[in-house]
Amino acid sequence: MRIKSQALWIVMLLAVFCPVLSHGIPAFSRQYQTSCTTCHLDFPKLNDFGKAFKDAGFKFPSDDASFLKIPQVMLGAPAQKELFPHTIWPGAIPGALPVSLRMNTFFQKTGGNRGNFGSLVPAGTVPPFIPKTDFSAGLFSIFTAGNFGSDIAFWVDDDISIAGQNGNGGLGDGYLRFVNVGRIFKLPTDSLHLRAGRFELDLPFTQARSINISPYDIYTQSNIGAVTTGFAQQNVNNLFNFAGGSNGVEISGGHMYGGYHYSLAIVDQNTSGVGQGANTSPFVPSPTGGSNGGVGFASDANFKDLYTRFSYRFNLERDKASRNAVQAAGATGPRDHTYLNLGTFSFYGRSVQRFSGTDLSGTPIVLTTREPFYRAGADFSFNYRTFNIYGLFMYGHDTNQLPVDITGTLVPLPLGPTSAPVGFIHGTPATFTGGFIQTDYLVLPWMMAIMRWDAVNSGQDRINGLAQSTSTPFVLPFRSTRNRFTPGVQFLIHANIKASFEYQFRPQQSVTVITNPITGLPVAVQPFRTNTAVTALEWVF
Amino acid sequence: MKLKYLVTLLFALLLGTQLLTAGTVSGKVAGAGAGTVVWVDDPSAKAEPPSKPLVMDQKGLLFVPHLLVVPVGSTVEFLNSDNVQHNVFWTGIGGNKKLGHNLGTWPKGEKRSFKFDNPGVVSLLCNVHPEMSAYIIVVPSSLHATTDANGEYTIQNVSDGAHTVTVWREGMKQQSKQVNVSGATKADFTLSK
Repeated sequence: MRIKSQALWIVMLLAVFCPVLSHGIPAFSRQYQTSCTTCHLDFPKLNDFGKAFKDAGFKFPSDDASFLKIPQVMLGAPAQKELFPHTIWPGAIPGALPVSLRMNTFFQKTGGNRGNFGSLVPAGTVPPFIPKTDFSAGLFSIFTAGNFGSDIAFWVDDDISIAGQNGNGGLGDGYLRFVNVGRIFKLPTDSLHLRAGRFELDLPFTQARSINISPYDIYTQSNIGAVTTGFAQQNVNNLFNFAGGSNGVEISGGHMYGGYHYSLAIVDQNTSGVGQGANTSPFVPSPTGGSNGGVGFASDANFKDLYTRFSYRFNLERDKASRNAVQAAGATGPRDHTYLNLGTFSFYGRSVQRFSGTDLSGTPIVLTTREPFYRAGADFSFNYRTFNIYGLFMYGHDTNQLPVDITGTLVPLPLGPTSAPVGFIHGTPATFTGGFIQTDYLVLPWMMAIMRWDAVNSGQDRINGLAQSTSTPFVLPFRSTRNRFTPGVQFLIHANIKASFEYQFRPQQSVTVITNPITGLPVAVQPFRTNTAVTALEWVF
Repeated sequence: MKLKYLVTLLFALLLGTQLLTAGTVSGKVAGAGAGTVVWVDDPSAKAEPPSKPLVMDQKGLLFVPHLLVVPVGSTVEFLNSDNVQHNVFWTGIGGNKKLGHNLGTWPKGEKRSFKFDNPGVVSLLCNVHPEMSAYIIVVPSSLHATTDANGEYTIQNVSDGAHTVTVWREGMKQQSKQVNVSGATKADFTLSK
């Protein structure tokens, strides 16, 4: 029970206060000797030129060399191409080490209900104290990106201090992107790119490089089936969510700043949440060649997951002269086009669970269930000058395969040491829906006003909350639908220094559960909110 | 015939008088190297705008040249040689905010012209690329010079009398002083930030 209470606090703190990652690239500013605002509206949010720069492989879309103030170092004369395959294809590296650093720090104020969770602690145990206000150090991150010539782009970012003082860091993205490989097959320009490594899936709206302090709720939603006694139980334990990075390969094409865009990624499956370092075998070599594991394995099953995305951006720009340019021309400088972007995305995988069971003869075996699951959704983004409204809707569906014993009777969940399942039958799928709508209005070049609404509907989260389970994506929700309203404002003190303010009107929670005298089922009462206000200072250099 | 000689004599006398009263202002500007602009506000001196427009280019996310000195009444063409859009604007001329102007935004190969009818320092900016900066110094006449590497300058053909000599350098406080010009006259300056 003590472990359960500690886990509750950890989950709560992470859910409430864990800041999202966000990156601008000062290394590019140094190389091109240009301001952050060339590519960013309110860093790290990209303007259309920034999207074109990224699409092109972290290069100016045309005449890149003429803009570089620090020329690249050639790793082979261009004429060496004539000798290929009897020479290494000539490439280049950035003339200056393209390293950038980022730091943020927070001040937060938590609502008066923050102490309510103390009632969950067993009698005689002192609950953790959550202060009303708190200064906290954020993340110190290092990131590097650029182009190696031949349209091969690279990106690596790592949060050095993610685990606190002297803690181990965490790799964000780390990939190589082969831009326009379609030219090998004589495909139209920019119709085929290839990316390999670790990367954030091509989400409609990035989580890793979001301007918000708090993450999108739908992106952090895992699917944990209902296991509370008295309700229809589900054998779903899928920890996948969109907030984390994926390991794999991706092909993509088109542009993010106009017209069509697609991507298709094949990535590792890991729905159990096992860490790469912990997933090792003393008998099987890992990629480093070590006989006892090396860096370990990032998958927890043989199946590879599939992510697809397609979007089309309708150019509604009325200025004919600039409709075909990357940005529209205005009297006060370029601005993003007026546009409507519509898209769709889907993710298909299999949630693998393994249990100790028996075969029909009673011989102990490992039972494996591979529950297909998918996430599908649609998104939109409308932009008019400095006003941008965007959002997405997502549906999550996990096939629910329930364990049965040798008589065909359902085995109560969660499975215990004495359970003896012999197989699985289909139960009611575990589903959830949700999404968000956000408006960003650049009031002044240095001031961004934000309003956001997050909503997630998960009946199983509410049911698990009735058992005061802390293993659900949101702790003890009072209702199946969780709404969160988050107004915010951000100020660019300089182009590379930002002060952000965010107030979260959070969903209701409950720590008091009574039994309904009529139905005999548990029901939550006395709901409360743990609203929070967060201030962040962030700087990149 | 006598009248013709008389007129010629008078003209020669007038010219001689003028030459005799035309002085030189020279000196050293301390705290600055080459590229400091010095000009004399002499009402009798005329501005002689060039017959062809001067060009301020935008290339490689830079204004080229960084400093352009033009007589009042000159026309400057603002060219964009980059493959990205650029904008040109200034918030005022010589500190007069009412003379601020925005030429707009235009793509590669296109240019916009502007005639500078008011003297003063014009700080050029591009609101697409806030790091871009250049200066146009609109001087009231052709009586101006730019310092050499030693910070020294010479302005010739300044009429005798009291005139205002002004010194400008990027990043330094502009300075003006009254100078009584009489032949070769010295006017030294010390600039500070």
